[in-house]
Amino acid sequence: MSIAITHAAPRTVPRRRINRRSALVLCLLGGGVIFLFALTLTCGRGCLAPSAVLSALFGHDSAGASFVVNDLRFPRAAMSLVTGLCFGLGGVAFQVMLRNPLASPDIVGISASAGAAAVFAIVILSLNGWIVSLVAVCAGLMVAFTIWGLSSGRGGAGGRLILVGIGISAMLDSVTAYIILEAPEWDRVEALRWLTGSVNGAQLTEVAPVFAALVVFGGMLAVAARDLDVLRLGDDTARALGVGADKTRLVVTLAAVGLVAFATSASGPIAFVAFLSGPIAARLLGSSAAILPAAALTGAILVLAGDFSGQFLLPARLPVGVVTGAVGAPFLLYLIVRANKNGGSL
Amino acid sequence: MSLDHRLEAQNLCAGYEKQAILENVSLTLPAGKITAIVGGNASGKSTLLRTLTRILPTVSGSVLLDGQSVHTMPSRKLAQIMGLLPQSPIAPEGITVADLVGRGRHPHHSLFTRWGSADDRAVDQALRATGIEKLAEREIDTLSGGQRQRAWIAMALAQETDLLLLDEPTTFLDVSHQIEVLDLLVDMNTGRGTTIAMVLHDLNLAARYADHLIAVADRGIYAEGPPSEILTESMVKAVFGLESRIITDPVSGTPSMVPLGRHKVISRPCSRKIA
Repeated sequence: MSIAITHAAPRTVPRRRINRRSALVLCLLGGGVIFLFALTLTCGRGCLAPSAVLSALFGHDSAGASFVVNDLRFPRAAMSLVTGLCFGLGGVAFQVMLRNPLASPDIVGISASAGAAAVFAIVILSLNGWIVSLVAVCAGLMVAFTIWGLSSGRGGAGGRLILVGIGISAMLDSVTAYIILEAPEWDRVEALRWLTGSVNGAQLTEVAPVFAALVVFGGMLAVAARDLDVLRLGDDTARALGVGADKTRLVVTLAAVGLVAFATSASGPIAFVAFLSGPIAARLLGSSAAILPAAALTGAILVLAGDFSGQFLLPARLPVGVVTGAVGAPFLLYLIVRANKNGGSL
Repeated sequence: MSLDHRLEAQNLCAGYEKQAILENVSLTLPAGKITAIVGGNASGKSTLLRTLTRILPTVSGSVLLDGQSVHTMPSRKLAQIMGLLPQSPIAPEGITVADLVGRGRHPHHSLFTRWGSADDRAVDQALRATGIEKLAEREIDTLSGGQRQRAWIAMALAQETDLLLLDEPTTFLDVSHQIEVLDLLVDMNTGRGTTIAMVLHDLNLAARYADHLIAVADRGIYAEGPPSEILTESMVKAVFGLESRIITDPVSGTPSMVPLGRHKVISRPCSRKIA
């Protein structure tokens, strides 16, 4: 009888090797984040010695480095880091949940709604701080449920959900543009932040709410991660394995919208970071193990690297969103072409 | 090994509020046996299976596992006792066989438990039982239909449930793979005492492999019992609307249905000639 329990032979099956690969990828991504973070702190218009950066960070002023490091570069690097993590994590959560890489929050209008709501709250309602983020979260959730409703979306995301989302996204982008035109006191840089996303002039007080959101909503996602992974096998299989599909989707939607909305209300909708992180991480990992942390780190790398190259490597000084947008658009085209061929999932 | 869990439906109505697909169905799956659910297209056999496993809600009536309603049972506890292989499960792109089979261990873990040697052992056994241990590292997308179906069954096996329900496990498989899958289910049934219930299209394979046959027609159960009593010419006529002759399967000794169409029939049975 083939079922008879005759094992004892050591298991040579690949689980361990897959884990080793994902551990390696996570280490490399983490190393990349640390490197880029340090690079942002040390190099700018002029480079500082690492020792000067460290002593400035720990409060010893050495030759004026303190202002540059503590007031300019550290908030900027911190903002890039936390928004990158939020966008990467929120994006991949949507893509995995809806089993479609095109269903990322910045394609289906969640980022656009958070951005429009934030601009509305700041310009029209004269709000600031946490309240703006909460308004953005509410708008994001409203749009998420509207899209689900309009595409009668339970389960995976078909073309319909994506198209509804793109339509809503375009509508909300025009709302943002209109409000910006009505806000004459804003300069071009501030306006660009809400159109493409920027970490220019970030303050630590603006970083704090995003960091808090990362802890709270990231924690929610970490708890839901196992169930989310099983949900990829389809609703029926997930239920058979003891996972409530609707409940998991609700938790994941709430957490992902929270992450994206808080990040958007601090840095603006940094173009395509949410969309790019998941697929890039998936290709690096080669399997679905540890996709959430890998995508979060990838998001941080994209924002840190995009901001650094936008500032210092390219001929003109560009906000990070312009750089990530330029990288992301061709990839979007690639995915659309590929999705038409095999219906691709993440 | 099995604790003989008892799954039963009482006055079950299922489907949709406005259009019932099943009305007043009561049944008990015989513990430790293989049950096959047969019936025509859209007769409600899949609905029955899906309602029994809580994937579809009941309109009225109840589904009881060991006397407790499955709808009030914690999902994870239910999933430790009863497994289901749906008709068209989705394999995420790039997932390997071992990884997929490992998903079957999900209900045995909580947030705070880690993958352990018991899980390794369950996956290992499932791979070996289904004969796909050599394919463990392959990606699901690269497998043939039969291999893929065996991987899904291995996942359900790794779940180590005492009850396993399968929705058309042999669809899209050629005949040799169909036999392979059904033999595998008998292995599970006799080896571990797993109670099995499945929707099958092929009446003759159902009669050969099942201990208990449930024929579904007209929103209810037309007949149920051992295949030798259930698979009759009048049952086939009533459930499928088809004239047939029942012969004895020379290989298994179980009843076997030979359809009578309008053409290609050399000798009609006497009883039909008169009519």
